[in-house]
Amino acid sequence: MMINQLFPSGNDISSILMNLIWLFLFFSILLFFNQKIQIWVYQRNAEKATMKLQFLAEKGKEEALKSIKNFAPENIDIKSQVTSFLDFFTIEPVDKDPFGVLNRLEHILDNRRDRIKLFISQIAPKAGKVEAANVEDIMEAAIALNFIFKIVRHYLLLGKKTKSLMIFIQLDMQLPLIMKIAEAYFKALKTFSSGKPIGDGLGPLVASRLMFGYPKQVIAEDIVCSEVNIENRKVYVIKAEGPGGVVGKPGEAVKRLVELHGGKIARIFMIDAASKLEGETTGEVVEGVGAAIGDPGPEKYKIEEVATKYKIPLDAIICKMDIEEALTTMKKEIAEAADLIVNKIKKAIIERTKEGDIVIVAGIGNTIGIGQ
Amino acid sequence: MNSNKSNKFTLISILLVIIAFILFLLSTFLDQYLFQYTMISKVITFTGLILLIISWAIYFMGLKQIKPQTTENVITVIACKNCDYREERPFMEGDYVFKEIGKCKKCSGTSYIYAIYLVPVKK
Ligand SMILES: [Zn+2]
Repeated sequence: MMINQLFPSGNDISSILMNLIWLFLFFSILLFFNQKIQIWVYQRNAEKATMKLQFLAEKGKEEALKSIKNFAPENIDIKSQVTSFLDFFTIEPVDKDPFGVLNRLEHILDNRRDRIKLFISQIAPKAGKVEAANVEDIMEAAIALNFIFKIVRHYLLLGKKTKSLMIFIQLDMQLPLIMKIAEAYFKALKTFSSGKPIGDGLGPLVASRLMFGYPKQVIAEDIVCSEVNIENRKVYVIKAEGPGGVVGKPGEAVKRLVELHGGKIARIFMIDAASKLEGETTGEVVEGVGAAIGDPGPEKYKIEEVATKYKIPLDAIICKMDIEEALTTMKKEIAEAADLIVNKIKKAIIERTKEGDIVIVAGIGNTIGIGQ
Repeated sequence: MNSNKSNKFTLISILLVIIAFILFLLSTFLDQYLFQYTMISKVITFTGLILLIISWAIYFMGLKQIKPQTTENVITVIACKNCDYREERPFMEGDYVFKEIGKCKKCSGTSYIYAIYLVPVKK
């Protein structure tokens, strides 16, 4: 057959037949292979993302190893130990019977933290308190990266195995957000290893500005408190104990303070970083009510419970930022917002409380790179 | 500044594709209506193909050039407990907010780190 017989242009029977065959071929490709083509496109996307996630997870592990190496004894093989610890998991408590689920969750979270601390004390015994806390954060970020990579890879392989378009579409639709979170964790790793303050440290930064020059004491796990005098009000300022990367148990601290004074607290102010909506500006300061704390539940519950029990008003002041800004080096806008919030709180205390009142100000967040 | 550069690359490659397309049209036109220019039309088609390949190469070169910049411009602000002296310097390992760092340069009070933050990298 000549080559131009395949692309006919005349009016004879053979060229009409040829045209029909072409038409039929196109239709059959579109009709029968359309899903195959779609699967192929989605699969390629997912494969690319998985490769990038694998790269991030590997790099994350390297970064973790690099930071641990400085504090590790020579005779142990940190690489294999860290690799196996990256798969460390936590099983959430059963919530079919919700009674006391937050107590159980808190218990399990305590367990988790203790296990990670124990692991770090074994693998990096030379690290001081601050370094150990930072290594803990680095490990948490590396575990998160590893987890994200494994989940995405799971769905990619599952989709390939079952040839299911639905799995690929679902994966593909969530990938942009997943990648954003993974990149944020990856950048966070680098910030943690250098011990710089992060965006989430806004709450502790405000608190330490308020407690500047006053004596501090530890009142709950990793939480320090200062008794500050603002216009003749007794203000208890609490924050996580820095400059190591810890969050502490601010809920426990607030509960203890309230119980200590028999509930005679005029107001509780909470300062936290909050995730912004797209279109909002970073560093925007907004006021509201409620317990401004982004923990998995137990700490928030304690504060809400004790505030409800004694009918204490809960004021929240938040600073907007996105997840990447919250987990990476604090931006100038956020540092400036901290000064703004300090003034706002002083003003709010004067406006909303009387002289002689007792007030609690809680700066919530990770205090890495922020002392007191 | 990264996105600007990649934009430039994309623009050039799109422009090349458009030129190639026009060349293809021209060659078809020559083939259809002016039979004596077959040789020229072939040359034009070939040029178009080369332009397409070049535009493709430029596009990928542009993609390769956008590598994430990892250098952070982190500033440490130093203040004094007694006076209003302020100083800025690049972040150093071991710095943390409210760390006390020796004597003030102006008076003899204690100076401490007032803030540590990230500023946008200048061009
Ligand atoms: Zn001074």
